[in-house]
Amino acid sequence: MDSQIKKIHQQLVSKQITCTALVQEKLDLLKQNTYNSVNSLLDTLALDLAAKVDAKIAKGETIGLLEGIPFGIKDVFMLQGTYTTASSDLLKNYKSPYTATAIQKLLDAGAIPLVKENCDSFGHGSSSENTIFGAVKNAIDPTLVAGGSSGGSAVNVAKEYTIFSIGGDTGGSVRQPAGYNHIYGLKPTYGRISRYGLMAYASSTDCVGPLAKSVEDIRIVLNVMSGKDTKDQTSITSTEISEDAIATSNVKTIGYFKNFVESDAIDAQIKADFLASIEKIKAKGIEVKELDFFKSDILVSTYYTLAMAETASNLSRLDGTNYGNRIEAENLIETYAVTRSENFSEETKRRIVGGNQVLSQGFSDEIYLKGLALRDQISENFSKDFEAVDIILSPVTPNTPPKIGDSLKDPLAMYLSDAYTVGFSLGQLPTLTVPQGTSTGLQITAAKNNDELVLKFANFLKELI
Amino acid sequence: MSKTMTVDILSSIKGAQPSESVNKLFDVIKNAVPSNNNSLNNVNYNCVSVSNLREDVVIESSAIEKQIILENFPNKKNGFLVVAKVIEG
Repeated sequence: MDSQIKKIHQQLVSKQITCTALVQEKLDLLKQNTYNSVNSLLDTLALDLAAKVDAKIAKGETIGLLEGIPFGIKDVFMLQGTYTTASSDLLKNYKSPYTATAIQKLLDAGAIPLVKENCDSFGHGSSSENTIFGAVKNAIDPTLVAGGSSGGSAVNVAKEYTIFSIGGDTGGSVRQPAGYNHIYGLKPTYGRISRYGLMAYASSTDCVGPLAKSVEDIRIVLNVMSGKDTKDQTSITSTEISEDAIATSNVKTIGYFKNFVESDAIDAQIKADFLASIEKIKAKGIEVKELDFFKSDILVSTYYTLAMAETASNLSRLDGTNYGNRIEAENLIETYAVTRSENFSEETKRRIVGGNQVLSQGFSDEIYLKGLALRDQISENFSKDFEAVDIILSPVTPNTPPKIGDSLKDPLAMYLSDAYTVGFSLGQLPTLTVPQGTSTGLQITAAKNNDELVLKFANFLKELI
Repeated sequence: MSKTMTVDILSSIKGAQPSESVNKLFDVIKNAVPSNNNSLNNVNYNCVSVSNLREDVVIESSAIEKQIILENFPNKKNGFLVVAKVIEG
């Protein structure tokens, strides 16, 4: 699909549509939708902003490319004055006092926020069922999960309720729902987009990422949000990616992880489709190398060990005194415990407890520190791979989306379903899901800071597969 | 502190127990044999150099920000924001 942003920009400039009518239409669609993709609508704000864009156009002033373009925000991002619940009971009445850097940059460019989107509570989940707002339904088959944790964002883009949405990806939370709902979803290089104002899940892999229906829209939104930010000291400087720079691919060699496709866990059709895509790429004269990689269970266990440890620390502030819905008990310690016990979901509690297990004395050496050492090895492995290949291609998920209700019954199966996404998170690499190649898409990954090459190869695949 | 703290105390979650599913993940790590034995994060450098630290200045919050922080605060009594109870002992 071509750029929706450019198409709407043209329609606004040529006065084919008004921004108010566009925003109202999208708000109506969001309000009536039965996919549980919405936590709260920002109707007053959105319509006010739309009226300003219309006034500008009426006066004959030029508008920027993103001006008047409606978008969605995963409900873990701060937007001043709006509820930011993280889909949790603990923060169901929490209002953002300030605005996240990534969101502020979009507002500054004139984009119009419509909705705070449903997701797994605090990003804890791969299905968008761990939420107080009801399980998000898959855009293609509503009996299936939307994926997660940015499930609401993926569905809103897929159904065209938003032109693009902003998700958060810690271990696959943008890429996997993008795959499940047949759209594009990018996890940029860690640090390329400031994390300031994104509620922390696991700070060492948390990334802000756009979801959209075209490579071009991903590029436009990525450029606007990127950049070093003094409010997030892990953020990095990056250069803008131009449309021309990604128009033609110069990729000569790609690789794929042999053990991902030889695993017993992969669905037969996804495997066959992935290998067929590889053959099409080979037929174009691109060299394809089979790469060795860590076993899936090591990747998943390393990721969850570190992510749980970090989330146990990050969520310790949610105690009903510093933040959240306080439930009073006989003393302070009891108040903390009752507040957290009653307000956190089972999955969030499971992850906090797991994190405290691995950080506690006697366990940290054999689990947490070993997890850190394994992450180093995984990253080193990537560095070596990218000396041999330009791009690593991978399926997004081993299986098709599960039925709503199934993931909650078997947490271990849910953790293992992240096998193909978590490794790239640990490596802090740029990875894009494209809605092609298998029924849950393909992941394109390049070396750190080479987000441009990822988009370039995505454009190449768009024509090929 | 020699007293062993259980996960329910560490997590401030009543009756919390380690989960079987999560323990299975940890068992994989326990049995893994890393070729290196350090946890120094030698590959992904995310630290900031001293010369690149941001200015150590107090930034005044806007009036709207202060007002929302007050609104969010979990409890208020006679115009004062109150914590749950003063830590005893």
